[in-house]
Parts: sequence; structure tokens; C-alpha cells
Amino acid sequence: MNRYTPVWLFIVFLIFFLLCGCAEAPGEIESEMREEGELLTVRLPGGDWGFPTPFAHYARGPGVSHMRYIFDSLLEKDENGLIPWLAEDYEILDEGTRYLFYLQPDVHWHDGTALTADDVTFSFNYYREHLPVWIDDPLILSDDYLLSVESKAESTVEFVLAAPNATFLEKAGRLPIIPAHIWSEIERPDEFNDPEALTGSGPYILNNYSKEHGTYRYAANQQYWGPQPRIDILEFIPVSDEVLTLENGDIHFARVPADLLERFTDNPLYEIMEQPAFWGYRIRFNMVGLPEFQQKELRQAFALAINREELVEKIARGQGIPGSMGMLSPDHRWFNHNLPAYEYDSGKATEILSSLETPARESYELLVGEDAEVRIGELLKEQLARAGINLTVAPADLKTRDSRIIEGNYELVLVGHGLWGTDPDYLRQRYSEETEDWLNGTPGYNNSAFSKLAEKQVREMDEEKRREIIMEMQEILADDVPDIPLYLRVTVNIYRRDIYDGWIHIYDHHEPTHNKLSYLER
Amino acid sequence: MSILTSGIKSSTAMAYRSSKRIWRNLSLMGRTATVILIILAVMALFAPQLTWHPPDASSGPALAPPGNTHLLGTDDLGYDLWSMICFGARISLLVGLGTALLAGLGGAFLGIAAAFRGGWLERIIMRLVDITIVLPDLPVMIILAAFFGPSVRNIIIVLVLFSWAGPARLIRSQALMLKEQPYIKMAAHYGGNFFYLLKRHFFPELLPLLTVSMIRLAGMAVITEASLSFLGLGDPTSRSWGLIINHAVSFSGIYFTPFWKWWLLYPWLFLTLLVVSLALVGRETERLADPRL
Repeated sequence: MNRYTPVWLFIVFLIFFLLCGCAEAPGEIESEMREEGELLTVRLPGGDWGFPTPFAHYARGPGVSHMRYIFDSLLEKDENGLIPWLAEDYEILDEGTRYLFYLQPDVHWHDGTALTADDVTFSFNYYREHLPVWIDDPLILSDDYLLSVESKAESTVEFVLAAPNATFLEKAGRLPIIPAHIWSEIERPDEFNDPEALTGSGPYILNNYSKEHGTYRYAANQQYWGPQPRIDILEFIPVSDEVLTLENGDIHFARVPADLLERFTDNPLYEIMEQPAFWGYRIRFNMVGLPEFQQKELRQAFALAINREELVEKIARGQGIPGSMGMLSPDHRWFNHNLPAYEYDSGKATEILSSLETPARESYELLVGEDAEVRIGELLKEQLARAGINLTVAPADLKTRDSRIIEGNYELVLVGHGLWGTDPDYLRQRYSEETEDWLNGTPGYNNSAFSKLAEKQVREMDEEKRREIIMEMQEILADDVPDIPLYLRVTVNIYRRDIYDGWIHIYDHHEPTHNKLSYLER
Repeated sequence: MSILTSGIKSSTAMAYRSSKRIWRNLSLMGRTATVILIILAVMALFAPQLTWHPPDASSGPALAPPGNTHLLGTDDLGYDLWSMICFGARISLLVGLGTALLAGLGGAFLGIAAAFRGGWLERIIMRLVDITIVLPDLPVMIILAAFFGPSVRNIIIVLVLFSWAGPARLIRSQALMLKEQPYIKMAAHYGGNFFYLLKRHFFPELLPLLTVSMIRLAGMAVITEASLSFLGLGDPTSRSWGLIINHAVSFSGIYFTPFWKWWLLYPWLFLTLLVVSLALVGRETERLADPRL
């Protein structure tokens, strides 16, 4: 080898990189006009979310949405609340212990069989034996609570309950209805993945699914009983970079980070759509293992020592809103606007820390998950150090983190999850009663005033009165700070306006592609 | 006292003379690489003196471009990149040096022992070497790193477990040759035990060869640590270069923004400099150790 060869190699290398920088910018894509009669195909970012029956999809939002394209429920949700769906009307009788659902006439399954009240009763009774993957509260199906489900006529179903429950309509009304003539023989529904398992009554029919590639292809159900599907073919394809794929025209809907929004503003092809903040992070305390956390003053000191605005600015790049100590998302329809703000004040936090009965320890371990959560942990460590609280950030992969939560094996833990916009009854499940359930409850936290209100709201059938109780519950939580909500993400979506523009947000969910109303005539 | 000082003086003088001799024999690339390595080592050693912002606390606005206050800009949390790179050099060099020393010396010891003792010991060691060489290292390392949990110490252990086999095999073959040399046979005959021979004959003879293989190991270790960190298997709270790159790359849409021009480019540049310099120095020492090449 010549002694100058490395130098030459270096020069060639340098030129190569400089030339790479001069690559031609991608050409602008033109608006695509459809010919008369041509099918409208909309492509969305995909990924494997399981076989979309009520028993085999994955227990995450996208998995549920795939199942709901195929299966209908008695009720649906729109921008403002619950709306009649398979049930064209319903009645609540006997002070909320008896429900009558009147089904739409002329509803057919994808295979042409008529959908009747018997299918509805079958579905609920089948779910009692075999729980579906996605169910808010399995207790509503228990024999002690749901006393009977019977079909009264060909299109009327009667539910008799042991006690009134303000959330029954939502919880039962959203369960998918499955055909009795297909499922009645099935013993292991989670393993039933014949094509006929996908016979639903919904607006879309799955005609291709690849688990390996994470692709789904749906065709519109031409015989749909309800509002007609506007998209003829709905495809989910695997995507590694949503922005790049959107710009290339391969997908028509994407999630776009804050720093890239500029590329799409003022472009007539694209529409920008901000999601409501229903996905967020919170910090949980272990009040059993570390009894000092039972002092609300210590928890308040933590809340004051955390600069939530800074988290929004730095981690979410401004795409988020700080959490409220009342726990509900500020975008929630029943959010209480008159709660203490817990503005960042490390001085006050230090003051509280020095006057505690049981003093805080020198240092705490914060269990976090991956990626962004580690960054949040690092920022929290820095912020809390200013108030004199030392934090060690202990990262773990998501599965380890979750299993340590279930075992109660943590001091402080950071969790991120969705559903901050759903029925506030989740506050009851999370913060009332003494519980051993580390995943859904808060062991060690007990406030009898809160528990009483929580029990009262679930039996209150008058919505306005119930709303007031929920407001009061938020006030108690904001004072007690059983958890610290850090921030809620405000994701920005961009879609191709020339291809399809029917995207909507239902009142309690952040993702417009997850609700079937986004795909139907309005 | 005077004997001691004169001893130190003479050994310093000897070291100076021999390094001067080595320096004269180095090619231009070798000299450049050595200088770069020395600069990087100085950066790591004197990181607290060379930086004026903490590496683990935000010291300015997020994602500020390179400028007067922040020499190489800041990352998304507002941490100073120059500080992170200087302190990160410690991790990269520690991993490189630690792995090279442990795997190199350990592997050499096993190789010599196998050659010298022979018999069942040799068979066991050589079969272990075969197994370690056959196993695909990166996938297994990913599993081990995930299993042991992320920390710099664990990464060094995992790297050592996978890289001792190369030097062991190399050194064994040389030691086999050396063992047959008359002077070694003589020394053994007069009662020199294994450790005596190891210290007085094998190690000094094999040192040049071992150095070459250790420098190679160091380069490999630095790259593997960076890859593991990049894949998210390093210690996520450390400030290694691989991790800075990992954070930069997981920032969504970084290539569409100007941020990559400092956040991604500089750690990449320093990593490349270190690895390329190590490779060049390795090649040079190989040439010096074996003049036939």
C-alpha cells in the first residue's frame, strides 16, 4: 500500500459525503384527482395489533380500533357523547336498574344472516364465560351485578342490574356484538382465527391481514345498515418514518413532531389537526413500602418541586399541556378549572420538606421505562435536586417496569398511558377503597371523604349532579396529590386533504383514526 | 536516596529514548493517529478543567447551535455537548482500555498456560476458544446486556467474555513455538516454574504481539459499547458517545431539522476519530512488532 493511500481514501470519502449533501430535493407531489368510479383507497401507518376479533386483538388502542371496524356495538361515541348505534333507542327504567335496548331493523351480518336480539343476549352471556380483551370493568358482567340479559321481542333486549350504575350505558353499550351462529360452538375464542371469526356487522370487512408485516386491508361493507363508508379500501402498511412516507404520498395520515410542522403549513395538500390531550405521564408513590409518602405534605412538596412546564417544553417540544393535580386531563369535558395550580416553586417545596413529621429520605429511586421516559427521569432528577431531593433514575424495559408495578416493587415510578379522557369513574377505581391491586389502584392511599363521593357518583343517574360530584372529587385529589400527573401529550396529525378529509375526534379519545365515525358519511 | 533518584532518572531517560525511537519509526498516519489519541486521552483526563458546563444538568436553551457559550451546541434537554463529549470520552476510553487489558492479559495468560501445560488443560481452553469464536458475538452480547442490566461495568464484562478468545489463540500458537526454544527449555530444566517463565520469558517475548491485539480489541470494544448504547442496551443514564447518538437518533425527525448538524455529527466525529486512530496505531505497532510486514 502506498503511504499516501489513506490520504487519498480520506479525500474520496470527504467528496462522497459532500456530494451526498447535494442530492436533489424530492419533487413536490401533485394533488391526486380521482376518476369517476375509481375506488378511494386510504393508507395509514400500520403495525401488528393482532387478529381483530374481540378475543384476539392486542390490548392497546389500535388493536381495539381494528376490531371495531368489523364489529358494531349497541352504542357509539361521537364528538359530544354516546349515540345510538345498533340500538336505535334505549330506555332506563326502575331508577337505573333496568335497561331496554331497541335494535335497528334490517341489520345483517357480513354473511347475510340477520342480526337479532338473540345475538345481543348471546354476546353478553358469552362474555360472561369468556372475557373479551378489551373491557373497562369486568364486574358489570358478573352474575351478582348483571342479573339477567334477555331478548323481549325480535329486536328488544332487556338488562336487569342489581344496582344502578352511571357508567353501565358506556361500559356495556360499547361491547362488540358477535354472531351467535358462529361463536356458539367455540370453546377457545382466543384461538379461533378462521376467516369466519371476522364476521361482524360493521362497516368494514377485513380481506387481508399479515401478522409478520403488520399490514391490514379492509374493504367497505357495501350492505352496511348504517351511515355509508366513505373510504372504499382502507390499508394499513408498515412505516418506519411517518413524515417521509407522508411526503412521498405512500400514506395519507401521519403523526408529525413539533419541529417539522413548518414543512406542512401553507401547503394546500395538507391539513393540520391537533389531538386532544388524553395521553399522559404520571408519577406514582409507593405509600406502602415507604410510609413517609402517606403524608400529603411530602407529596405536595414533590408536586411543587417539579417544573411541568419545562417538561412540556423540553421533552414534548411544546406539544403538550401540564397535568392537573385533579388527575383529569384539562381537555376532559368534566375538568375542574378551579384547582390549585401547583406552580413550580422549589423554595416552597424545600420549606415543606424541612417541616415534615416523618422526614423524607436523602434519596429516592425513580423507576422509568425506555427512551423518552429516561429523558423525563433525567430532567426530574435535576429539578428535584434543586429542592433538595436526590433522585436516582433506574431505567428498565417496559415489561420489567410494568411487572415491577404489579408487584409494588418500586419507590417512585413513572408511567405513561392513554384514556385520560374517558368516563371519570376511573378515579374511583384508582383512588378509592383500600386495595391490593398495584396496577389499577393505589395501595396505601385512603381518603374516606373521597371514597364516599366516588361511590355516590357511580350511583348518580342524573348527569348534572354526577358532574358536580366529580368536580368535588377532583378538589380532594388536587389537595391530596396521590399521584403527580406530569404532562399530557398534544399530538399533531397531518393528513392529505385532497385524498380524504373526514377525520373527527370523538369526545373522549385522542386518535382520530381509532373511531369508526371518521370513516363514515355524517 | 541518590540511587533511587538516579534510577528514576535513568529509567525516564530510557523511556524517553525508546519513545523517541518509536516516534521516529512511525509513518505520518501513525503519528497523526497517536496525536489524536493523546488529545482524546487528555480530553477525558482533564474533562472537568476543559469544560465550563456540567455534563449532566441543563446549562442553556434546548438545542442551541454551536456558539460562544456552548462550543458544540446543546441537546434537547439543554445539556452542553462539549461537556458530554469530554466526559463521554472517559466512558469510551474506560471501556476500550478495560476490555483490552482484561481480555488481552487474561486471554494471553490462558493461551500461554494452554501452550505450556498442554494435555487436558489445553483441550478445555482451546474448545472454549472455539465456542467463543463460533458464537455470533453481537446478538449474544445484546441478549447478555439485556439480561445483566445496563451498566458500564456489565458492558465491560460482556465484552471481555467475548473477546478473550482471539488473543488466547494467537498467543498460544506463538507460545507453542517459543516453548521449543532451547533457552526456555534450559530455564525450565533448571527448575524455572510456570510463573517464572511467564514473567521472565513468555510475556516479554510476546508483548509486542499482545499489544497489537489489545489495541485492536480496544477499537472493537469502543465500537461495540457505542453500538449497544445506540441500540438502547447501554446504561441509559450514562453519558457515553453511543448514548448521545442514540438520543439524537431517537429524536423524531432529526434529519429534517438542523439539529443533527451538531447533536449527531460531533459525537459521531469523535467516535470515528477514536476508532480510526486506534486502528491506525494498531497497524503501525503491528508493522513495528513484525518488520516482515
